[in-house]
Amino acid sequence: MAAGFLLGGSGARAEDPSSWREIETKYIFGFTLGSGIGLEGEKEVTVDSIGRFGKRDGHYAASETKYEYEFTPSQFIQIEFGALGSTHNIGGVTGLDDRSQIALGGAFAELRYLAIERTSNNPLAVTLAVEPTIRRIDETVGERVQNFEFETAVNADLELLRNRLYAGFNLLYEPEVTRTSLGYTQREARAGGSAALSFRITSNVVLGGEIWYLRHYDAANLTAFTGDAVLLGPTLFIKFTPKMFMTAAWNAQVWGREVGNPAAFNLSEFQRNRVKLKFAYEF
Amino acid sequence: MSFEQNAQHLKGLKVPPLPLMMRNLALAAICMIAMFQTPASHAQQATEIQLTYSKGQFQPSQVSAPADKPISFRIKNLDAKAMEFESTSLRVEKVVAAGSEGVVNVRALKPGRYEFYDDFNDKARGTLTVQ
Repeated sequence: MAAGFLLGGSGARAEDPSSWREIETKYIFGFTLGSGIGLEGEKEVTVDSIGRFGKRDGHYAASETKYEYEFTPSQFIQIEFGALGSTHNIGGVTGLDDRSQIALGGAFAELRYLAIERTSNNPLAVTLAVEPTIRRIDETVGERVQNFEFETAVNADLELLRNRLYAGFNLLYEPEVTRTSLGYTQREARAGGSAALSFRITSNVVLGGEIWYLRHYDAANLTAFTGDAVLLGPTLFIKFTPKMFMTAAWNAQVWGREVGNPAAFNLSEFQRNRVKLKFAYEF
Repeated sequence: MSFEQNAQHLKGLKVPPLPLMMRNLALAAICMIAMFQTPASHAQQATEIQLTYSKGQFQPSQVSAPADKPISFRIKNLDAKAMEFESTSLRVEKVVAAGSEGVVNVRALKPGRYEFYDDFNDKARGTLTVQ
């Protein structure tokens, strides 16, 4: 099906970008989010899965899926909320219990505010986002916890060539607090940024690549640095119909370091690979 | 360091009197209040633009409006089937049933060119020029 879209495009209009409709940029950059907030009155249901694979040893596969409803109540604000499902398949990983489970993992909400809007005279658009999340299953190890995360992000993008080439940039700060089943409380944070480039090869297909730099701290105020990593990979966006689309991305860790561990890569706080697959229907 | 080791290590650390999470929440609340403040331009009188949708086309298809004033599109659908007035750059969409009229309110705009179209009909296009 994807090949059909790649080859077929949208008929006679495929070669003439000036005749293409403007594209909503939120999901064209993979894990990097664009500035788009949708259209006033628009509603959308999505299934958004992120899979994480690979630790230092053993086998590690975990996923978190957002079952999401989003709507745009004004021309500046978008609201999203939904439930989280998680899966963990872990065996022989040092420091982690073996586990094979599927669970309802928690819930989240997101508020996005378009701070700078793109016009035909200004190619830059910037959106500010906050996303509180509550989890009952730990994202990494899969055990029962009480976790509260508060993601804050800046999602920016630039239209470099009209209807053709886009650059996306994200800044991320994600503090969280976790209370384990044994009663311990752990505070940590992730911070970082990304850059992405996406090329619209036909009116309904966008291909690109992105790079992420992420840092991890054992404190919410970024004082106890434990390691960082660089992830790199391709992205794909396909609009099947005016109301239905998918986005996919794969990031591989290409560089990483852990404080106190000379081994290559940071596989303690990050994974070797992560993939994203999202399907959305607007109405 | 494993999760449990980490938790044990952190157990001994001194927690600040005002947790950072609370400060983050307070900051977020302030941001949200700021976000929901509507632009002052909404109080201004809107520029009304009348469009007719007939035989799968907008009439007129090229319209203009002054900058920094809200705009109100009044779309009369004369066709026998529904159309959806939509624009990515204006960030609006509205379904207008066959033989009826719909009103779409748009924020005050900066100078520029804004496209609109019928989401159900790829050939129906129009442009708003704001100056």
